[in-house]
Amino acid sequence: MESLPALRRSALAQCRRQSRINSPLYLDFLAPIALRAQRRNASTTSPSGSSKPRYTLSKEQREYLDSSLRVNQAGELAATLIYTAQTPQIVRSHPHLRPLMKHMYDQEAGHLKTFNKLVAQHQVRPTAMYPLWEVAATFLGWSTAALGREAAMACTEAVETEIGSHYNDQVREILLWEADAEQRGEELDDELKEMLATFRRIRDEELEHLDHAVAHDSKEAKPYDPLVDVIRFGCRAAIKISEKV
Amino acid sequence: MASIARICPRRALTSSLKPTQSLRLLTTASIRTSRPTTTPLSHHSQSLSKYQSYQTRRPYHSTLHPALPVHEYTNSQIAILEASLAHTPVHGFTNTSVLLGARDAGFLDVSIQLLPNGEYDLILFWLASRRGLLRAAVESGEIQFPAGQDVQSKIKTLIMKRMKMNEEIRGQWSDALAQMSLLGNIPLALTELHALSNDILTLAGDTSVDASWYTRRAAVAAIYASAEVVMTRDPTPDMSETESFVERRFEDKDILAKKVEVVGQCVSFFGNTVVGVARSYGLKI
Repeated sequence: MESLPALRRSALAQCRRQSRINSPLYLDFLAPIALRAQRRNASTTSPSGSSKPRYTLSKEQREYLDSSLRVNQAGELAATLIYTAQTPQIVRSHPHLRPLMKHMYDQEAGHLKTFNKLVAQHQVRPTAMYPLWEVAATFLGWSTAALGREAAMACTEAVETEIGSHYNDQVREILLWEADAEQRGEELDDELKEMLATFRRIRDEELEHLDHAVAHDSKEAKPYDPLVDVIRFGCRAAIKISEKV
Repeated sequence: MASIARICPRRALTSSLKPTQSLRLLTTASIRTSRPTTTPLSHHSQSLSKYQSYQTRRPYHSTLHPALPVHEYTNSQIAILEASLAHTPVHGFTNTSVLLGARDAGFLDVSIQLLPNGEYDLILFWLASRRGLLRAAVESGEIQFPAGQDVQSKIKTLIMKRMKMNEEIRGQWSDALAQMSLLGNIPLALTELHALSNDILTLAGDTSVDASWYTRRAAVAAIYASAEVVMTRDPTPDMSETESFVERRFEDKDILAKKVEVVGQCVSFFGNTVVGVARSYGLKI
């Protein structure tokens, strides 16, 4: 029985609401206009001119990219700091290693620059452990160099093994997406393609550092196994932590 | 019971039911009506807690990919909350506003149960929607930054723009601040504050990629939150007092940042000197 007045009231309310929508203060949308326009345009064609539609990233894939870019940036930061801390002591006792150390440092600094750019471009949150990693990496580089050339090279070997396999996992993951896209008759966007190429190049350079380290007697380090195991475990823990925070 | 529910008008029925039963009826009804309106990613909304109804993180932004849906309110919730906002200048962020809003939107009185937190949901909706409007104002070109303007003055512009949105609810906002400072409400209030400072910095074009990412967000959040308190007791019609307060806080921030920088430089210089001197003595460090 009471439904009739309720109905009438709701109809009235609709009218009132219509009039209010014109006032700017109450025109509420959480999704901004620009974003909605973007949503319409995306998933049509890619700007590269090819006819295939663009592969749309899911939420999980975005989160994967988010955490992997964060880890990569932290890893390259640590690598540059390790080489910075090692160089003076190594070069002092073995001057012939100066060009090698400089070569490896320069490459790592280039990687760090690449990832700083990617992190800013994709609005990824940098790791909260940033200051801690800075201190830890400097200490690791300094202490292994104090143990001698072989220990420093063993440190490089351990770190680059972990980092190399980590990059490899990422390349594999993006290749899986590419295969998925292929299956659907879509293709990855240019940013992702470029990122895949970057990851591959950086992985190869990291593995090149690994070869240099082995060629310079890393296996001769005195307590070889415990040293390398501890560093590798530390790297894996740091990667796991940086993925989350 | 179910057959009666189907036949009778809901309003007549719910008054005679126990509260739990009417709530169950209402939620099933709302699920039936509002489910198809959600986005393709709606399966995520089930895993979220009932409080976490909007997106505050934006993982992996890319210009080539559409943004993820920014909120997970159902359409009925939005309709009620939107209509309730019209009553906030008079009735404040209270259950009265929610009730009047629900009536305006053509809902029955009992449907305010769609909002489990009542007035706090209204406050959060206000915050989240103003944040969305701020973002929209920049992305649609309503706020134009002059070329070559530095990030800090852009941040100031955005903070004042956001503050001006509070114009009509100035008198009511201290109640909302009190609500937000209740123990159980603090986490969501802080999440929203972080989301706002994150948005402001992103829109201002800040590209910090190290620990300053955190300190800058904390600084903007602190300035904004304290400016809101000042705003509630600002007697000037154009918020000039709040504006000068924001100016002063930015000056304070600059002084503090300079001090921290100087201390850092001093420490690293001292450390480098000690290591250098020790090395020149022949120590193997």
